[in-house]
Amino acid sequence: MAGPRDQMSAIQSRWATTTGHVAGLALLFVAAGMGLGTLVELLDGTDGGAMAGATAITAGIGLLLWRSTRPGRLDHATVFTAVGGTWLIVSVLGALPYLLAGTFDRPGIGLPVVIADALFESVSGYSASGSTVFGSHNPIAAQGTGLLLYRQLTQWIGGMGIVVLVVTVLPSVRAAGLGLIDAEAPGAGVDRLAPRVADTARRFWLLYLGLTILVAVGLLAAGMGPFDAVAHSLTTISTGGFSTRDASIGHWDSLAIELVIMLGLVIGAANFTLHARSLGTRRPLHQRDPEFRGYLGVLGVGTILATLMLCADGYGPATALRNGAFNVVTLGTSGGFGNATTRGGPGDFASWPAGPQVLLLFLLVFGGCTGSTSGGVKVMRLRIGAAHAYRTLRSIRRPRAILPVRFGNMVVADHLVERVAGFVVVYGMFLVGGTLVVAALGSDLLTALSGVASALGNMGPALNQAGPTASFVDGYSSPGRMVLALLMLVGRLEIFPMLLMVVAPYRAIQRHAPGRRPDRWWRRFPR
Amino acid sequence: MIRSLLAGPAAGTGSDRTWGGIRTATTWGAAVGMISAACLALTAGLVDLTAGGGDTPVLLMAGGLAGVASSLLVARVNRPDRIRPSEVLSGATTALVSMVLCVAGLYLLTGAAGQPDDALFEATSGVTTTALSVLDPSSFGRGLLLVRAGSQWFGGLGALVLAVVILPFQGRGGEFADRSGRDGRIPLAPNQRVALRNIFALYVPLSLVIWLAYTLAGSGCFDSLLLAMATVSTGGFTGPGNLLADGETRWVAVVGMILSGTSIVVLWRLVVGRGRGLLRSRELRSYLSILIVATGLFLAWSGPMEGVDLREALFTVSSAITTTGFPSDPMGEWSAALPVLLLLLVAIGPMTGSAGGGFQILRLRILLNSATREMVRQLHPRVVARVRLGGRVAEESTVRQATVVQFVFVAVLFTTALVVATLGLDMAAALSASVHAVSTAGPVRALDGSILDPSGWPRPSRMALLPAMVSGRLFLYPAAVTGGTLLIELGNQLRLRRRWRRWRARGTR
Repeated sequence: MAGPRDQMSAIQSRWATTTGHVAGLALLFVAAGMGLGTLVELLDGTDGGAMAGATAITAGIGLLLWRSTRPGRLDHATVFTAVGGTWLIVSVLGALPYLLAGTFDRPGIGLPVVIADALFESVSGYSASGSTVFGSHNPIAAQGTGLLLYRQLTQWIGGMGIVVLVVTVLPSVRAAGLGLIDAEAPGAGVDRLAPRVADTARRFWLLYLGLTILVAVGLLAAGMGPFDAVAHSLTTISTGGFSTRDASIGHWDSLAIELVIMLGLVIGAANFTLHARSLGTRRPLHQRDPEFRGYLGVLGVGTILATLMLCADGYGPATALRNGAFNVVTLGTSGGFGNATTRGGPGDFASWPAGPQVLLLFLLVFGGCTGSTSGGVKVMRLRIGAAHAYRTLRSIRRPRAILPVRFGNMVVADHLVERVAGFVVVYGMFLVGGTLVVAALGSDLLTALSGVASALGNMGPALNQAGPTASFVDGYSSPGRMVLALLMLVGRLEIFPMLLMVVAPYRAIQRHAPGRRPDRWWRRFPR
Repeated sequence: MIRSLLAGPAAGTGSDRTWGGIRTATTWGAAVGMISAACLALTAGLVDLTAGGGDTPVLLMAGGLAGVASSLLVARVNRPDRIRPSEVLSGATTALVSMVLCVAGLYLLTGAAGQPDDALFEATSGVTTTALSVLDPSSFGRGLLLVRAGSQWFGGLGALVLAVVILPFQGRGGEFADRSGRDGRIPLAPNQRVALRNIFALYVPLSLVIWLAYTLAGSGCFDSLLLAMATVSTGGFTGPGNLLADGETRWVAVVGMILSGTSIVVLWRLVVGRGRGLLRSRELRSYLSILIVATGLFLAWSGPMEGVDLREALFTVSSAITTTGFPSDPMGEWSAALPVLLLLLVAIGPMTGSAGGGFQILRLRILLNSATREMVRQLHPRVVARVRLGGRVAEESTVRQATVVQFVFVAVLFTTALVVATLGLDMAAALSASVHAVSTAGPVRALDGSILDPSGWPRPSRMALLPAMVSGRLFLYPAAVTGGTLLIELGNQLRLRRRWRRWRARGTR
């Protein structure tokens, strides 16, 4: 029988090869996106050298990793390590186009800050967050169309999930594909749309592509140009929020465009299984789903409250409704678009009165439905948490009653309730701890709290100094932005994969390390 | 209910009709609150008399009236068939509310507060040990100063009674009530009566010891009494002037606050001579660790600020984590992280089973352990994992209660912040004030660390903080249970369903 050291080596080797195999294929998809950007730059007549170089490097590394590795036995620790590792590798290499094109090079800025900004933008893209370091000092409009298209594509790829994409084509992991998909979005509980996992993943991607095309057509009809319509459709269905304009949707100041964007965000933040089943039965099933109803209820109530508060502050009813609805929907779905035409204008929620801003802060945590492209804690978890709280308070009045936790007509098992409670606790700890760390790195309370909430929920803009008309360079120091980037990844993977990527090796080392743990020092005190 | 009170126990049908549990509990609760306010007013009246103050007649008369009213209530109450835990919690809530109303009445009658909302805010802040003041104590006589400080003292005592006597015996957290006499130790709370007696036996002498310590440190006798009451209750109201200016007084305050934030179970074991092995308590270790680490961070982040040394850092940090709220003005320019650190400490709070507010360390440890259990379950879905605390397996009901308190804490916090911000306070102050109100701590600081004066806030915003203070002092879920119970009882009284059926039946005839 192999000794502990040999067992440990075998486990580490399995993690490395599996991660390499999955990450390798993911990088090929990323390289395809870069290639598309290169093609656009060449067609546009701009210098596509940087994009081409990034494409070649990424494709080369991806091919090398994919071909030289084989996935091992996919136990839970290996799955979480593979998923977390893949996302890290993709996010890091995804910054190559920005670095090679010198996008964030500015006079007086050192190389570490340039690398940090590139990483931040890449992570914000792949995590479908929408926070940006572009701003008045470095306008989006000054960038090449190929780079901008790649930037939009990063959110489109990351929105549905890189690992879901990998599972569609990777035969060697198909058997454990459900575990991989579930690890990428732990709370969702993936529903099989087809007997084989790969077919399920493929159907999700086809649906995703179809909805993206529909939104693009809608934006074209609303008056956007072809390039902008395609670019914005990529980041609408993925609830990402990147725009090709510095003023985001506010650049067009068009109610029609805002309505199409809002509709696209609401669809993107709803459960894709519902969309797929509705298409399959050819009738909408959304109204029967309690989570979807709750999600619409939150958006509706939020819109009404925001509108009333803005009216009370002196905004006209139409202006209040338009801006209140747009910003509630964009933050409630973790979209992150802005419709502010000027700093301090009615669409700039950072200049709103305190009441609606607190409401938006709440929405930064809330999020959309499970099984969607949105971030946040998710409506289902919050409803289960509320039902759990109600059940516990009722049980004080009736201690002997058996009171199940209900979600709609469904009884939620206790182990699922405990899982939701555990998730909410860890989310809260990251929120509080992240706020302290970002504040220690130079941001004030509001900017830090809203930035961390936005990063964990993959929302996009924050409040105070990082509002919709500002850049994250304004509100956060470079180390602070790195912390936010890490939190974006943690939030995109719904916390546990990134945590377990760190914890799992430690537990394995504990189990297999020779010798026993030393006595804790306080056990030496006599009773 | 009022008719039953006036008529006596044979009301209604003429037979020996017993009361419902909720009615009895709330009546008893109101009586307890009024008796406490009566004792406070009478004592303050006597002190005012000896000092030659002008509030003596009002205080003595109000105290007497409150005493008579509470005696009438106690005499008229019928014992119910049974009394449920939810009804006991409703009684505790009623006791707090009735004391608040009585103290507010004292402020109004003596003219200390010109407006009812100011009186209500000050009274709530005192009884809930929140230390957000809207009145200027420099114009108060000794009697009123004693009322102010005494309301906090009673509030702290009430919090201990709720935490050690009521909550553990009403089915929640009973395993942590220190009931067992194993290893030859004398338990703090073998039953409710002994627990109540032991709490008095600790709280009163501790107050006297701290009073003596302040006096020896150089404060005047009366000033020391006010400080001692504010310290032991983690209330934070001081008298007129800067009573904590002296360095030695501040050291006494630091030690007093740390002791007041320690669990009464730990203090009990020290007193009965079973102090050895106390450091094995993980909650105590966590409390002391947080204190040390936070002090270190405070010193590190305050940089080269003039006047900031270990004493000042300890004073500010212990004031925050114990939710006492003794004010300390920032010296120099505070870094952005310091107000965040203090806000976090206020939200965490001291040890469970102390007079402090906040979320409290034991609950936090329960949440951490349950989160760790979920991570283990992600790796090993079939594992049977339990949450352990202090080497013992915690009951699932206790774990559930902690997660529910977290949910209610966040819900109350956000709702309060939303309402307070809508009613006129700026966002940073609204968030900070809400955290402080739910955690029953003061003072509220701006982003630069300067202390905000609540008397300058819009009145509706101040009123919106009162429910959060009351909920926070009651450790949140008793207030939630009370609200639910009262709604249900109201519904039963209105008998809406029966009326609806009768109306339908008439319609079909």
